[in-house]
Amino acid sequence: MSEPRPYVERVGPYRFLRLMAIGVRTHVLYMSRSPLQLGEAVVTPVVFATLAFYLFRAGGQGDQLLQASVGAGLMGTWSSVLSGSGAAVQNQRWLGTMETLVAAPTPLVLTLLPITVSTALVGSYSMAATLLWGVVLFGVPLTFADPLIFVVALLVCLLALGVVGLLLASTFVFLRNANALANSLTYPIAMLSGMLVPISVLPEWTRPISWVLPTEWGTRAVTTAAGGGEVILPMVMAAVLGAVYVILALLALAHVQDRARRAATLSLV
Amino acid sequence: MGRLASSARLVVVGGMLAYRALFNWTTPAMFVGTLLAAPLLRLAFFVYLGRRLGIADDRFFVLGNTVLAASFVCVYGGTMAVANERRYGTLGAILLSPRGRLTLWLGRALPYVINAILVVAFTLGVSVLVFDVELAPGELLALVPVFLAGIVSCAAFGLTLGAIGLRARDVFLTANVAASLLLLLTGANIPASALPGWMAVGRALPLTHSVAATQAITEGSGPAELLPYLGWELAVGLGYATLACLLLRYFEYGSRRRGTLDTV
Repeated sequence: MSEPRPYVERVGPYRFLRLMAIGVRTHVLYMSRSPLQLGEAVVTPVVFATLAFYLFRAGGQGDQLLQASVGAGLMGTWSSVLSGSGAAVQNQRWLGTMETLVAAPTPLVLTLLPITVSTALVGSYSMAATLLWGVVLFGVPLTFADPLIFVVALLVCLLALGVVGLLLASTFVFLRNANALANSLTYPIAMLSGMLVPISVLPEWTRPISWVLPTEWGTRAVTTAAGGGEVILPMVMAAVLGAVYVILALLALAHVQDRARRAATLSLV
Repeated sequence: MGRLASSARLVVVGGMLAYRALFNWTTPAMFVGTLLAAPLLRLAFFVYLGRRLGIADDRFFVLGNTVLAASFVCVYGGTMAVANERRYGTLGAILLSPRGRLTLWLGRALPYVINAILVVAFTLGVSVLVFDVELAPGELLALVPVFLAGIVSCAAFGLTLGAIGLRARDVFLTANVAASLLLLLTGANIPASALPGWMAVGRALPLTHSVAATQAITEGSGPAELLPYLGWELAVGLGYATLACLLLRYFEYGSRRRGTLDTV
């Protein structure tokens, strides 16, 4: 006898966009009232930026301060996405809404995606704060090679960060304290994505790992848009890999959700 | 004598029970990921950043970030030791106890000291092997009291943050800000020659003097020259331990008065 399958609604393009719009609005508002999220969004980029500015100056690379600023801003954004992705699942557990979301006909992935995109949007404040911090306190000139391309590249990078967050959030459904583990991923992904530390200084064996990260291509797009160079290819690669990560997130979520339902561990806190 | 043994029992057994209860949710994989891998990966990040900028050798970043590894355990552990009692609704039962608050809360900090020793030893051992950093036996020996002083001091700092958890709802905000400040102000990642004057405020934070001591060791300082660093580090720790006791007492009194002990 076959097991009953949970009912999952088919979602068309209009409904997808509506879910995203409402979900992003809801979660941005929710985060904008969270002292933890706001505090982290304010403090983390300033810390990364200050460290980066003093280190770059000490290294005699004062002419690279804009690159340092952009790299530090991306690290702040990534940190925000990570903590948001960990909290995306953990918060639902603590609020007691996890089972309802899983039982709802809307696919769970479409509930989680707006959360991680919201964290990237809130995290984009990091970039603005870091650039402003650099201009006001360190006199960093905002001489972007092409400001418009920089904005487009930044949006692509934010989406890339968001989908990596989605993939992580999908696997975090299975972990009881996902937020704790999320914190430990800040530096490795930032390092492998070339934020502040170019991947060329990392060991050769890490290169293939970097190449399959949409965050690496997104970072490359943003940093080259700021300093000049090929931007289109990194943006396309970030978008393509981002789409692959969405598919991986769907598969991971289906598997992990099924296991959590079978083991009855969905709501364990 | 009986009273002393009873207090020691409360510190050790009470602390261990609280630690086990707090970590009931975790798995070995989670422990490895959050407490062993995370400090090591942050260390690697700064080693590679240092290599890219050419501002200091690997030893500087390895030793500085090894000291800083204690902050992962002590800041978040100390915070959770107090704040999670409130989150899980056990704070009221604990504060009903007639036992002295000093021993009660110091016992909560003890497991994190032991935990931090493990984390620091692991971080140093692995990073020395991975980045091929040479440390003479004499240097290793001199590092032991430096690490211990930093850990004890940081545990007291963590308990102070935990005390704030008796009043503040979003206590992890405080912990995150504190961890960020330690990263920025302890001098673990910026060489002393490049440190701006305003960062001297970091001397009031735990680990700063231990970080400076590790740099003194690599520059060839002897045991006698390390004593001022150790003295300052322990003095900072003592200051935070005193502040933690005062805050715990004050917030407990305030929470009882307003009936907000278990409000989350």
